[in-house]
Amino acid sequence: MNAAELSNKLFATMIEADRSGAARIVEEALSDGMPPQQVIAEILDPAIVRLGKQWEEQTMSLAQNYVASKIAEDTLLRCIPKKDERSLNKGAVVIGNIEDDFHSLGRRSVGLFLEAAGWEVHDLGNDIPAEQFVEKAQEVGASVIGVSAMMQTTALNIRKVRELLDQRHLNGSIKLAVGGAVFNWRPELVAEVGGDGTAHNAVGADELFLRLRSETGGR
Amino acid sequence: MNSYQRVMGTLLGQPVDRLPVFAVLGAYGAKLTGVDLRTLYSDAAAYVAGQQAVYAQFGFDLVMTPFVYTALSEAFGGETAWSEHQPPNMKRPGMLSVAGAIKAPLPDPQTTGSLATVLDATHRLADIFKERVPIIGVLPGPGIMPSLVVGMERWMETLLFEPDLARQLTDHLTPFFVAWANALLDAGADCLVITEGMASAEIAPRDLFQARVLPLLSTTFPQVRGPKVLHHTGGRINHVLDLVTGLPGLVGVAIGSKDSLAQARALVGPNLNLIGNLDNLAFPSVPDEQIYQSSRSCIREAGAAGHYILSNSGADIPLATPPENLRAMHRAIADVGSRSGAWS
Repeated sequence: MNAAELSNKLFATMIEADRSGAARIVEEALSDGMPPQQVIAEILDPAIVRLGKQWEEQTMSLAQNYVASKIAEDTLLRCIPKKDERSLNKGAVVIGNIEDDFHSLGRRSVGLFLEAAGWEVHDLGNDIPAEQFVEKAQEVGASVIGVSAMMQTTALNIRKVRELLDQRHLNGSIKLAVGGAVFNWRPELVAEVGGDGTAHNAVGADELFLRLRSETGGR
Repeated sequence: MNSYQRVMGTLLGQPVDRLPVFAVLGAYGAKLTGVDLRTLYSDAAAYVAGQQAVYAQFGFDLVMTPFVYTALSEAFGGETAWSEHQPPNMKRPGMLSVAGAIKAPLPDPQTTGSLATVLDATHRLADIFKERVPIIGVLPGPGIMPSLVVGMERWMETLLFEPDLARQLTDHLTPFFVAWANALLDAGADCLVITEGMASAEIAPRDLFQARVLPLLSTTFPQVRGPKVLHHTGGRINHVLDLVTGLPGLVGVAIGSKDSLAQARALVGPNLNLIGNLDNLAFPSVPDEQIYQSSRSCIREAGAAGHYILSNSGADIPLATPPENLRAMHRAIADVGSRSGAWS
């Protein structure tokens, strides 16, 4: 079976929440002698891209996001178990849930997809103050900060990140991605909190972050 | 006709003087009485004072038992994060493994501090409002309750990938869900709103709900003695409405603001009550005229057929909501939701 066929099968396991089936496909590819990097590039990546297209403009449920992200994580860990050996060639990003927000599942899925796509992800966790986002981004040279919030009340705290970026004249070099259930529900909230962009689901995070990185002048 | 008679009459399909109107205003009580949210949810007297203030100021057709799920997570050993602006959230679950949770003893609603406070508040509400204003108890459904015990990520992973283990955990927790529901009823709640996050399209697809969560509702609902409303938690629920209509003791469904009222009615038939359809998130940020018009639209669409209660769709209405936005719901009821307005 060639890589395209295996990728189609992997895509099907993501749709069907068949994590063990996904593992078997990856195992089959590796045992047939396909190099791990090729498994990621030609089997996992196209499946994720296809998933993103299928769900474009739609809301994936939290469960569907989670299944797909866990399959991506399993594949990465099987192919390249050590994080420092992965090709994280897209650069650094910082993600976290904003101050007072403890709904981490969506953010974790975003982190897994970004890492699978080749980003160096610095996940700060839950309840993160604005200052910590900005300071970490400066420390690691991140081009994008991704801030997650599930509730409208907590989403409004993201304004502080926007204000800090503007005050420190970082708005040209660090872009602000926002996400979480409330942004799908009220898209106008992205502008209200000063976000530079959002994605409808975790699968779309890579495309969003690439766009935002290009707006900083990075490639 | 008082609020109790109006709501019970609507639920039973009897003639009422006007459409009932609900608004989820638990935390808002703190805003009106000037206490912080930690005090509101930790002190039964403070909570009840908040509900009294909400009822006195706005006259919605309900009072609510404390809508504070950290009372449950704390009962299982979890840690709470308090905020000045919203009800508290679970900061850390009490159980770090599903296997551990299955072996852990279940808390006793009557003697576990945070749960006893909720029951105390319910008793006090009953002393003041019984048969005058319906006392609505709120609790999480059996499909989402495990997330308050082991955390959302661990529960989602188990539910999706280890169904046997997930079943063991829900089997273990079912007696607590039933005991907690019945304790709320015994303390004075007239009706229970069961917020089942797994029934929300934003949390789980239909097939997952049908396979793993619907059986839990089917087995637990007959064990809960009072009338029950299934709530979407914050999202859409129409995708599973046809599955839930026959659940034992189910008197209504709270639908989401992005669900179609007409589709919901077609799915549940003429006799099941529908509640909601007003966008929670709009309340703090739009003019009162918009709330008024949205309310009118809901009443026109669903009021005439009866078995409908106008309400926000979601959890607590944000604290930043201006009072006039809440009163706009009443204005709409007065204009088009009364008998004289013919609900049209």
